[in-house]
Amino acid sequence: MAKVGPAPAGGALPPAAETGLSRFWRLHGTSYLFLLPWLIGFFGLTLGPTLASLYLSFTDYDLLTSPRWAGLKNYEYAFFNDRRLGNALSVTFTYVLWSVPLKLMVALGLAMVLDRSVRGVGFYRATFYLPSLLGASVAIAVLWRQLFGGEGLVNQLIYMVTGLQGPAWLTHPDYALSTLIVLAIWQFGSPMIIFLAGLRQVPQDLYEAASMDGASAWRQFRKITLPLLAPVIFFNLVLQTIEAFKAFTQAYIVSGGLGGPVDATLFYSLYLYEEAFANFRMGYASALAWLLLVIIAIFTAITFATSKYWVYYEDEAR
Amino acid sequence: MQKSMSAMNRRGFGRLAGSTALAAAFASVGRPTFAAESVRLIWWGNPERDKRTYAVVDKYNADKGADVLPETYAWGDYWQKLATQAAGGALPDVLQMDYRFIFEYARRNQLADLGPFLGNELQLDDFDQGQLDSGKVDDKLYGVSMGANSMSHVYNKTVLDGIGFQLPDSTKWTSDDYVTIGKELKDQLPDGMYFSENMGLQEPMLQTWVRSRGKELYTPEGKLGFEKQDIIDFFNYWRMMQDEGLTAPADIQAQDSGKMEERMHVIGKSLFGFIHSNQLVANQNLMEDEIDFVMIPNAGDKPGQYMKPSMFLSMAESSADKAAAAQLINYFITDDDANDILLIERGVSADASIRERILGALTPTEQKIIRYLDLVATHVGPLPPPPPKNAGEIDRSLRPAWESVSFGQVGPEDAAVQFYDNAAQILERS
Repeated sequence: MAKVGPAPAGGALPPAAETGLSRFWRLHGTSYLFLLPWLIGFFGLTLGPTLASLYLSFTDYDLLTSPRWAGLKNYEYAFFNDRRLGNALSVTFTYVLWSVPLKLMVALGLAMVLDRSVRGVGFYRATFYLPSLLGASVAIAVLWRQLFGGEGLVNQLIYMVTGLQGPAWLTHPDYALSTLIVLAIWQFGSPMIIFLAGLRQVPQDLYEAASMDGASAWRQFRKITLPLLAPVIFFNLVLQTIEAFKAFTQAYIVSGGLGGPVDATLFYSLYLYEEAFANFRMGYASALAWLLLVIIAIFTAITFATSKYWVYYEDEAR
Repeated sequence: MQKSMSAMNRRGFGRLAGSTALAAAFASVGRPTFAAESVRLIWWGNPERDKRTYAVVDKYNADKGADVLPETYAWGDYWQKLATQAAGGALPDVLQMDYRFIFEYARRNQLADLGPFLGNELQLDDFDQGQLDSGKVDDKLYGVSMGANSMSHVYNKTVLDGIGFQLPDSTKWTSDDYVTIGKELKDQLPDGMYFSENMGLQEPMLQTWVRSRGKELYTPEGKLGFEKQDIIDFFNYWRMMQDEGLTAPADIQAQDSGKMEERMHVIGKSLFGFIHSNQLVANQNLMEDEIDFVMIPNAGDKPGQYMKPSMFLSMAESSADKAAAAQLINYFITDDDANDILLIERGVSADASIRERILGALTPTEQKIIRYLDLVATHVGPLPPPPPKNAGEIDRSLRPAWESVSFGQVGPEDAAVQFYDNAAQILERS
């Protein structure tokens, strides 16, 4: 076995004198040194605040005075008394259940279109990816708010084409959430890139063989592309579901931070944020954050559990 | 070397997906705050106010060799920023405070008592007593009023003059007169302009409404000071305004999220709107038409309006150099140079000598504010009791409650009762 770490200063110690700890440092010291920035970040900025929030979720904490222990009060309130939470959950579930599948379908469709060697394909790929680079930004949300405003570009186009006055997309409770779902679908870029990578791995001779046998394009898609792409679909599904549960920026900007009209776009994260920073209930907001974590974990677990029925890996025995 | 995604084995793939999922689920943002040795100043503002305040800070730094670090946020972000800074023990030395929050911050020992500085760093001899008292909590001075202010109905003077309509004496008009005038003007307004902004979601309007009926939003003990019937009538009134076509349909009105540049009267969708008097300059700057304002029509026989302290300057209890902070507050409140720049953007100064000095320098728009407050001063009720904890949440809950009425999801009576019960519950939770 070759030496992994650097030689200790002053030459190698005799094996008998080497303690467990110094042996550990000799073998792994350098690696941990390189890992240090990440470790500091993880413990200081992620794990620390996470544990602090777990503690705060059992307290009354208004940011201005010290937290007071409240036991399960926050959770009881969330489960039994909070009417707005029910509303926020239903908005968020609706959003997740519509936006994720639609976004993945659009991403896959475009990935298949772009998986060809036409001229300038690199340009098209970059262009299609652009929205998701900008997508979660405040600037795009502001732009979206203007495009879909009562007299925004979208309604002007509708008027030009049909002569009809379009609805108030963002300020009518019947349309506001759907408009945000469309905004989410439009950010198909990152799943699209991953789909593209996946499509590259599908052996072309399978298609050739299939078309020789007279299989239609649809049949080829169903019998070759989809099964071979299943792990990638699974990966995108898990990630996008988590992203969707955490949706915040779009709703915050587009609704002016109000989750309106009539709480129609009151996403879970938005409600959590409002409780924490507008209503000064950081303890309750922490409890909400932990409930969200549990909800996301359950959904992810369900996705993982169902995956064995539809995700196929190449190295598996048939 | 290339390892394809689909060739990865199940366990490796699961681990990858799992850890990415975990990292994504845990991702959170945090920003550390650093203490500085110089005096930090923070305020909420708008572009106009920011411009003036920065100019004052620059002048102060240049003239006094001081090192004041200014920070500004919009109203909505400001209180979140302040609360997190308070939680971290890193409040800026001098901060702009609102009547709604001064009690909360003072009673939680976040603000310093300014009493010891009076007569030394703080020279407030020419200050109106009433305005000075408005910054007191439990008999200690926690904030110096930056100016007087009141609610108002703003209107598009260019349009109204074009029609040739003469408004009645606004110290006497009632909410019924408002409807009558609206019906008379309705058909003469430009295309797309409605008579009034719908004010069913404006908490200060609800406040004037109940006060003109001799009640208050909140009692001194922090309970609701009005009856269910008051808000039922209030919702019914504004629902009727919408049904009569005197205010915009719900989905148009909902485009106004409260930002100045979205207000109905600013974008030319309403003749009348609601603002606080010190906002006239900023509103006028966004518009080509000339605007002016009048008093709010009373819904009863008592005066609903009152003179507000527009905002305070307060000092953080955690400030490392309180004397320097007090000097900065004094500069803003009493210095001639500073007030030549600030003028009355934050309200009309409570310092008599400053008021006199700046009068000549005011634009016609600003002079309107002085004239308006002179008019209001003789027709107001007393300052209401301080709003209780969680009053901000009740204020915010008025919007969805009203919107459920305006979109026809809930009837005015049911929505009003729901709002009332919910407000009582919010107060109980505090």
